[in-house]
Amino acid sequence: MSHFDPWIDGSIVGVYLLVTLIAGVAVRRYVGKVEDYLVAGREMDVHLGIASLAATEFGIVTCMYTAQAGYTKGFVGAVPGILQAVAMLVIGLTGFCITPLRRAGVMTIPELFQKQFGPRVRAAAGVVVLLGGLLNMGLYLRIGGEFLSTVVGFDPGWLEWVMTGLLVLVLVYTVLGGMLSVLVTDFLQFVVMSAGLLVVTFLIVGDVGWGKLVETVETHHGAGGFDPLADGGPGWSFLLFQSCLQVAATLTWQPVIARLLAAKDERVGRRIYVRTSAFFAARFVIPGLWGIAALAMVTPTELALLPSGADPSLSAMPLYLSKLLPVGVLGLLVAAMLAADMSTDSSYMLTWSSVIYNDLVAPFRKSTWSEKRGLFWNRTIVVWIGVFLLFFGLWYPLEGDLWTYFSVTGTIYLSSVSVLLVACCYWKRANSWGAAAAIFFGAAFPLATLILPHVDPEQRFVLTRLGDHWNGFLAYVLAAVGMVVGSLLKPVRKAAA
Amino acid sequence: MNTLGHGFWWCVAAFCIVWYSTVTIWVAVKGATDIRAMLARLARSGPGRERER
Repeated sequence: MSHFDPWIDGSIVGVYLLVTLIAGVAVRRYVGKVEDYLVAGREMDVHLGIASLAATEFGIVTCMYTAQAGYTKGFVGAVPGILQAVAMLVIGLTGFCITPLRRAGVMTIPELFQKQFGPRVRAAAGVVVLLGGLLNMGLYLRIGGEFLSTVVGFDPGWLEWVMTGLLVLVLVYTVLGGMLSVLVTDFLQFVVMSAGLLVVTFLIVGDVGWGKLVETVETHHGAGGFDPLADGGPGWSFLLFQSCLQVAATLTWQPVIARLLAAKDERVGRRIYVRTSAFFAARFVIPGLWGIAALAMVTPTELALLPSGADPSLSAMPLYLSKLLPVGVLGLLVAAMLAADMSTDSSYMLTWSSVIYNDLVAPFRKSTWSEKRGLFWNRTIVVWIGVFLLFFGLWYPLEGDLWTYFSVTGTIYLSSVSVLLVACCYWKRANSWGAAAAIFFGAAFPLATLILPHVDPEQRFVLTRLGDHWNGFLAYVLAAVGMVVGSLLKPVRKAAA
Repeated sequence: MNTLGHGFWWCVAAFCIVWYSTVTIWVAVKGATDIRAMLARLARSGPGRERER
């Protein structure tokens, strides 16, 4: 039974939502051009960049899948976060790829590819970026709704309506103010979200105690709960796939790159990377502790009372929080989680719409558009992405664990686009044949991972037997091999005399 | 499991919580200044902004 009080906790949530909406709508008057709308006029400074990047990359869905990783894998569930923190730090310090990317003055990554690989590769990269991005984002609403329904204790039958209302609210300020509204609301959301996460973490560690967290991992996962390569751990395939995934995400995950491209200059962009790097470990470690605490404290009897079809590894954490947190703190938690979710939804909708507009619509228009017309189309695309989210999230049946789903769908484009980016920045011989091969192989393996279990339940094909982690790792290897072999096979045109 | 593994994860968790607490306060203060400066720069540049009011 949740302790959520409609008056006290509901008021905290209501005030937060109202302030966010007012702030988001108020800055719309500063949007005069498409560049203002998509990259905030490239005026973002370091601290706002840190707040925006952290708020964007932590939604309810992040909290749910990292807590699930803690519940099902123990401390090892946080390994992807540590890998990404290292990748962010190294790339921020060295400027590897992100310096030339920011200097190019582009609005999306595929735009950079046009110069070296041609317009077809730009469009193809735009398609895979969109496919991976939208499949990835498709589940955010449902997972967010499931968390809220468990913590607040409302009837799951209301889930669709609550999440539709939240999406409409986010759409209002995102459509009107674009990246400017996203940045300003991200700042508010970062403060509320961080306060909520920290307060809840102190309460959880105080309630369970570090000793019991360790003991729980030892009991349920053994040595594999502490060391990914120990017996019972996820092993080398997990570590290799996650290493490739985290480096690629740091280089090319469009919502992250959008902050680099909105930064005042490349120096600010690199500082944002360095100073946000530890957050990428924290976003796995902190909810991971919540998941382990849920494993320790939620009894099988309580799990049996969950609605039919609910996944215990996913629902145990919100169930535990609803029991543990007192009135007032529960309101803060819900406001924090709404803040996390809204900042992620607004940024992601804007990000994927920028790819549709910049790489799939704008290059093919026959005449130059006015800024007003460009803004109209950007806003229309954001609305359509919102509609897609609403319907896809409601009917896609999720099987397996969330993090694997997100890793696989993200890999559809991360594998090839990261290879294209490195080649574009540092290999003059790279060309369109290599780019096309990288895009094909990079998308084929993760798509096969999603489709094959449905068409080959008896595991007759080698690819089905390999499993998610090896298939994901192979996507990165073959995208790189495709780039090298394809580029070397294409005849070099001699320069005109 | 040896205590080395426990110690490693204790250090990681403690670092994350301390770092996150510090950064939250720091960014809450400095981020507001960034927003004001960004909006001031945007207001100064570009004559066409009034159209969007």
